[in-house]
Amino acid sequence: MHVAWLYLGPFLQGTGVTLELTIVSTVVALVAGILGALGMIHGGKILRAVLVVYVELVRGLPPILQLFIIFFGLTQFGVQLDAFSAALIWLMVYGAGYAIEVFRAGIQDVSEGQWEAARSVGMGYFTTLRKIILPQAFALMMPELTNFTVLQLKNTTFVFFIGVADIMYQAQQGAASTEQPQVMFVMAALFYLVLNGGISRVAALVERRLTAYR
Amino acid sequence: MSKDVVVDIQGLTKSFGDRKIFRDVTLQVHQSEVVAIIGPSGVGKSTLIRCVNYLHPFDQGTIRLLGHELRGGERPSAAVLQDIRTHVGMVFQTFNLFHHLSVLDNIVLGPVEVKKVPRKQAVERAHELLEMMGLTDWAKAYPRRLSGGQQQRVAICRALAMDPKVMLFDEPTSMLDPELVGDVLEAIQRLAQQGMTMILVTHEMMFAKEVADTVVIMADNAIAEMGPAKQVLENPQTERARNFLARVLRNTPPADIPQAVVGGDPD
Ligand SMILES: Nc1ncnc2c1ncn2[C@@H]1O[C@H](COP(=O)(O)OP(=O)(O)OP(=O)(O)O)[C@@H](O)[C@H]1O
Ligand SMILES: [Mg+2]
Repeated sequence: MHVAWLYLGPFLQGTGVTLELTIVSTVVALVAGILGALGMIHGGKILRAVLVVYVELVRGLPPILQLFIIFFGLTQFGVQLDAFSAALIWLMVYGAGYAIEVFRAGIQDVSEGQWEAARSVGMGYFTTLRKIILPQAFALMMPELTNFTVLQLKNTTFVFFIGVADIMYQAQQGAASTEQPQVMFVMAALFYLVLNGGISRVAALVERRLTAYR
Repeated sequence: MSKDVVVDIQGLTKSFGDRKIFRDVTLQVHQSEVVAIIGPSGVGKSTLIRCVNYLHPFDQGTIRLLGHELRGGERPSAAVLQDIRTHVGMVFQTFNLFHHLSVLDNIVLGPVEVKKVPRKQAVERAHELLEMMGLTDWAKAYPRRLSGGQQQRVAICRALAMDPKVMLFDEPTSMLDPELVGDVLEAIQRLAQQGMTMILVTHEMMFAKEVADTVVIMADNAIAEMGPAKQVLENPQTERARNFLARVLRNTPPADIPQAVVGGDPD
């Protein structure tokens, strides 16, 4: 039997791990991104300062260092995380930092006139956000959000450094124990391409719906 | 405050940061009265009417309307703000329709979300309003498919759907191609005839003279002159009002010189 078949099982397991990390962390990062962006735009001085520092840390520190700080560094403070939890938390924290910036730009791209028109019919802040601003912001941001999700998926590969059994990890394991390591890496490449292709397809469908009004 | 005063503005003073926009503006608007505000660009006309529904806070003075009192430097409660905004309609220079919603949903959203009107009832009312504005066929379209004049009439429908007691218009025709101005002005005039109380910022002198009961001329950070429309436009008493009207006259191409400014209207 071809070596690729032998490793299909582990690769599928790895896909499950990769997908779970991607989906959960992306959803959490997007929600945190919206809240963080609103804090940046409408929050008080202190909140804004805290958010700026947060975003700068996430953007400024190498991803692998951040992951190690969460997995190894926190044990100093008595926080003992298993590898999967540490991986998931890092992806949320990291994704949120970038999502805040994406949403800040997206929300500010919706013209002030939309807020004013909504206020003028008596709508409050959260109704205006939910009914008027966010739907338009999402439509404007779809390219960035698609890109964000693709990057989030690719960033899951870092978790292999702390031993989480994602696709990359399975490929590495396979490569170490067969005569044909290149087959394993080609397989990993195909898996990532298919997953990212799926993300792009879904995003394109969502985008078509969201931007129908333009 | 006499009984039929709907909006009572007393001693209003407003700055943006260090920049004084206007000071000590006092103006009363009565039931079914149409007040037109004119004046040079940047004098604070938009800012003044935006204080009425508190899109802008102001520094000093009071605005009494709908049984509420807004005071300079004091933020009103959310409930008061919502009550005022629910009953004061606003139409913007740039229409500001909700781009992502159909024409119908633009009109229905306020009543449903804010006044908790059942959707079915709100939809019926929206169709009535659209018919009144000659837009029956456009209910399902997105705003950007419509001409500017049509968009502005939808914006008027959106405001009217809330059953406002007062309407504020901020240069509703100044972004429109000349041939589209007429329909919008007609719609506003019809509202005036139906007894709507309104404050209208405009550059259309003819229209102001024809439709407004009262004209307010703003100049140099304050009200320069205010009174019955014809009197103020044809026979201004103050230097500043005369200067402004003379300037408008000079900048208007001969063919379009508004009668009101020339004073050539026989009656
Ligand atoms: N949100 C704001 N922040 C700071 N300054 C502002 C703001 N809105 C308006 N201004 C300034 O206040 C002044 C008055 O503006 P306003 O829009 O009320 O004038 P206007 O009389 O309506 O002029 P126009 O005829 O051009 O519409 C202008 O100098 C403007 O730059
Ligand atoms: Mg203006």
